[in-house]
Amino acid sequence: MSMQTPKQLGGISFGLMDPETYRDMSATKVITADTYDDDGYPIDMGLMDPRLGVIDPGLECRTCGSHSGSCNGHFGHIELAAPVIHVGFTKLIRRLLRSTCRECGRLALEEHEREEFSDRYERARELGDDQTDVLKAAVRQARKASTCPFCGEPQADIKHEKPTTYYEVQDVLSGEYSERIAEAMQPDPDDEDDTGTTPSELADETGIALDRINDIMAGEFRPRDEDRRAIERALDVDLTEEDMNKLMPSDVRDWFEDIPDGDLEVLGIDAENSRPEWMILTVLPVPPVTTRPSITLDNGQRSEDDLTHKLVDIIRINQRFMENREAGAPQLIIEDLWELLQYHVTTFIDNEISGTPPARHRSGRPLKTLSQRLKGKEGRFRGSLSGKRVNFSARTVISPDPTLSLNEVGVPDRVATEMTQTLNVTERNVEEARQYVHNGPEAHPGANYVRRPDGRRLKVTEKNCEELAEKVEEGWEVNRHLIDGDIVIFNRQPSLHRMSIMAHEVVVMPYKTFRLNTTVCPPYNADFDGDEMNMHALQNEEARAEARVLMRVQEQILSPRFGENIIGAIQDHISGTYLLTHTNPEFTETQALDLLRATRVDELPEPDGIDDDGTEYWTGRSLFSELLPDDLELEFTSSTGDDVVIENGQLVEGTIDEDAVGAFGGDVVDTITKVYSETRARVFINEVAALAMRAIMHFGFSIGIDDESIPPEAEEQVDEAIDNAYDHIEELIETYEAGELESLPGRTVDETLEMKIMQTLGKARDSAGEIADQHFGDDNPAVVMARSGARGSMLNLTQMAGCVGQQAVRGERINRGYEDRTLSHYQPNDLSAEAHGFVENSYRAGLTPREFFFHAMGGREGLVDTAVRTSKSGYLQRRLINALSELEAQYDGSVRDTSGTVVQFEFGEDGTSPIKVSSSEDNDIEVDRIADRVLTAEFEDDAEKEEFLGRKQRPTNISEHAGPGLNKAQGLGVDSDD
Amino acid sequence: MVNVTDHELVPDHELLDDPEAVEEVLAEYNVSKTDLPRIKRTDPALPDEAEPGDVVKIVRESRTTDQAIVYRLVIS
Repeated sequence: MSMQTPKQLGGISFGLMDPETYRDMSATKVITADTYDDDGYPIDMGLMDPRLGVIDPGLECRTCGSHSGSCNGHFGHIELAAPVIHVGFTKLIRRLLRSTCRECGRLALEEHEREEFSDRYERARELGDDQTDVLKAAVRQARKASTCPFCGEPQADIKHEKPTTYYEVQDVLSGEYSERIAEAMQPDPDDEDDTGTTPSELADETGIALDRINDIMAGEFRPRDEDRRAIERALDVDLTEEDMNKLMPSDVRDWFEDIPDGDLEVLGIDAENSRPEWMILTVLPVPPVTTRPSITLDNGQRSEDDLTHKLVDIIRINQRFMENREAGAPQLIIEDLWELLQYHVTTFIDNEISGTPPARHRSGRPLKTLSQRLKGKEGRFRGSLSGKRVNFSARTVISPDPTLSLNEVGVPDRVATEMTQTLNVTERNVEEARQYVHNGPEAHPGANYVRRPDGRRLKVTEKNCEELAEKVEEGWEVNRHLIDGDIVIFNRQPSLHRMSIMAHEVVVMPYKTFRLNTTVCPPYNADFDGDEMNMHALQNEEARAEARVLMRVQEQILSPRFGENIIGAIQDHISGTYLLTHTNPEFTETQALDLLRATRVDELPEPDGIDDDGTEYWTGRSLFSELLPDDLELEFTSSTGDDVVIENGQLVEGTIDEDAVGAFGGDVVDTITKVYSETRARVFINEVAALAMRAIMHFGFSIGIDDESIPPEAEEQVDEAIDNAYDHIEELIETYEAGELESLPGRTVDETLEMKIMQTLGKARDSAGEIADQHFGDDNPAVVMARSGARGSMLNLTQMAGCVGQQAVRGERINRGYEDRTLSHYQPNDLSAEAHGFVENSYRAGLTPREFFFHAMGGREGLVDTAVRTSKSGYLQRRLINALSELEAQYDGSVRDTSGTVVQFEFGEDGTSPIKVSSSEDNDIEVDRIADRVLTAEFEDDAEKEEFLGRKQRPTNISEHAGPGLNKAQGLGVDSDD
Repeated sequence: MVNVTDHELVPDHELLDDPEAVEEVLAEYNVSKTDLPRIKRTDPALPDEAEPGDVVKIVRESRTTDQAIVYRLVIS
């Protein structure tokens, strides 16, 4: 790579291009529509002229002399036989035609109006408002003028026929003017006083000579405009008819040429860079060959790009136009050809203009022309610039590995040998580098390429690796394989928040899947039912450093959405800690050591007591406490419902469950992250997961169908509760049918009945749930999971053991199906519970066919809802991101957009980051606790020292793989350590 | 007629009459007038005497702080 001086863009200016500039920058004029001759060589002054750049390897560009690949191509031009309108500017052309004088080209605005619009334009620019609004207003004002304020010429209305035709609508003298005058001069038969008008009277009134009047009335003389108006006034008749006069592009061009620069300024057009007549094309630029490369098919035939096809059309018509004009063809034919030329130039620029049939390929496919290349999701902007395919990336299925740290990712060896990191060989790592090259491209910590200082890149192969390894010197670059401890970026789509892309450290592993710790599933929203994830290897030191410091998983433990941890124990981890701490069981030394074996704790604390046999025991809570920081103080209420007290790093009482260590706001994890450090939190989460897995395996945890069964007497109670509800509903229906049901405020009687029935059935299910609940033991696994928050809820349990309850579609009982009934099994207008989707059975007991059908109806709604929601929220998300993407918190605490406009004077109105502050609605910022902590720290030696030394950096960027003896490259010789 | 400015959900809109006070605000945030958020002169919450080009100070209750102060430029 050659070192290039970084350049800074001073600015970009947009404008129209002068036809002269087109000609100046053109490499050649294109006159023939052909591309290649019979020998396959590009034709001179054809569409593939070698001066437009080269695409065939080996040929030389006739303009710049370079070969394909290094030549970007050069524009050519076509001299159009007649001017045509550029479709991209039809709106502006219409506006200018309407607002300027047809005669003198001046903007039809008075001096004071000009000033007003200039001011408004200036204000819009200052405020960052849309300047086209001012232009529109100015045009509307100017259009009102019936005559030009400068030359007095009457102004015609302009009609625009999309896409590119303009008409001048004028009032001209009607062909039957003499008849109309004669008719108006006749006396009115209904009015006796009206004697009509004699020609001499008319002559007196209009001031036209009598014989001229007679000529006019005889139809021998067409009155001039002023005479016509005088007659019209005198006789109160309309002698005109509308006439549409087509404006040819050349007329428009001539018109625009007359518009003075100063008048354009009022409309917000910079005449220096964009003269309006440049919107009418007289020269068409021909894009370089490199923008429209032709493809050689397998059979040797050449297939041209869509743009080339379109250019061929344009040149053909252009040629025909010129020939016909020179031959003096009738005006009609010339106009037809002109229109055809306009059509081809229009579709060359944009092939999706409404009202114009798109130009098609021979196969019938619409051509993809200039505008289509840019627009839309697959267009240049969204498809090629904002998002593109990248190198150094890998994608495969993910699977769990609880032995990994949450910072790590297991990378399959076949991925690790394919993806590389660049190692700059120096005095200190030359041996290491040689070892990588020596290992070759197939053995794991090997190398795929080397780059010599002269820039030459050599592929490392099995054959040359040993030889090449000897040659590696300082200054070389070695593209070595990924090894343990490398930092990579890991991502799962949809990337809805910043935790969807995090940096992980590599652990190279056998087999084909990416492995991750189950605790990082919540931020990625990942599971292992076939999910795939992407990995990106970083390619420079800045990127690696940034990823390590800012993007590593442990730095993302706290979510900026709600300011609490998003990474923590999930599912079995929570069941595990619950079993370990809820009843505070006792463990022997062996058991205790086994529970802690996957943590760094290798010495047990003092035993909690001695049991009857005389053996020492340790309780679950004190084992859990081993993972806590020694001086942690914390009190909160667990999701199980008991108070958790942690004093001096010891769990004194309470159950550790979802509210303590869970993802999404587990208090212990949250506090450790905020008070201690991300690194401490990472260690804690890893160890909690490991301890919990050991614990749950110690106790054994499974769930089966019998875990949801309740004793027969309980079932009877449930049936009774449901029967009671049925009876109640029966009563309700009877009162309703008797017309005695009183409606609730704002509801009809029908609605009231429905609501009351729903309510009764809801209560019935709840009481069924309560009955079922009473008969479950505390050690029931489903209960354990629901109470601890690991998975499922008491409602799920109710539905499994008690009663599934009312099925609903759109929040109502099921009312659809047949006329007046849901199924043909019921009487019409049956309002009872079972006829409208109440499922009285439990999942365990099994549903009747009719219940099953209603259940499927309710279930379908859920599926449809999720499908609709994801697509809707996806689009909403896109719009939100686009609207907010340029907002930025400034160093002064304010939030501004890129133009400097203030959006918030203080970020979030309080100027704090949610992840730095520990507060919520029911939990104000704990000033006392923070003050306490600061004060105690103040009087300790360590703290004073730290203060004198300046703020101590937290060692967040140290790899878990840093340290001696971990250099995998050197260790290749060792076979195995088991 | 109901005066909307008396409604409990409409925060206090105070006109900054004193040009110096405006200058102070602009200096505090190092912005020009046009960089401020805007409010239409026709906004019913504005005091009647507000003219385009004026700056209003809005003191509203905030979920994160008790009171949040926002300045807005009155536009036509």
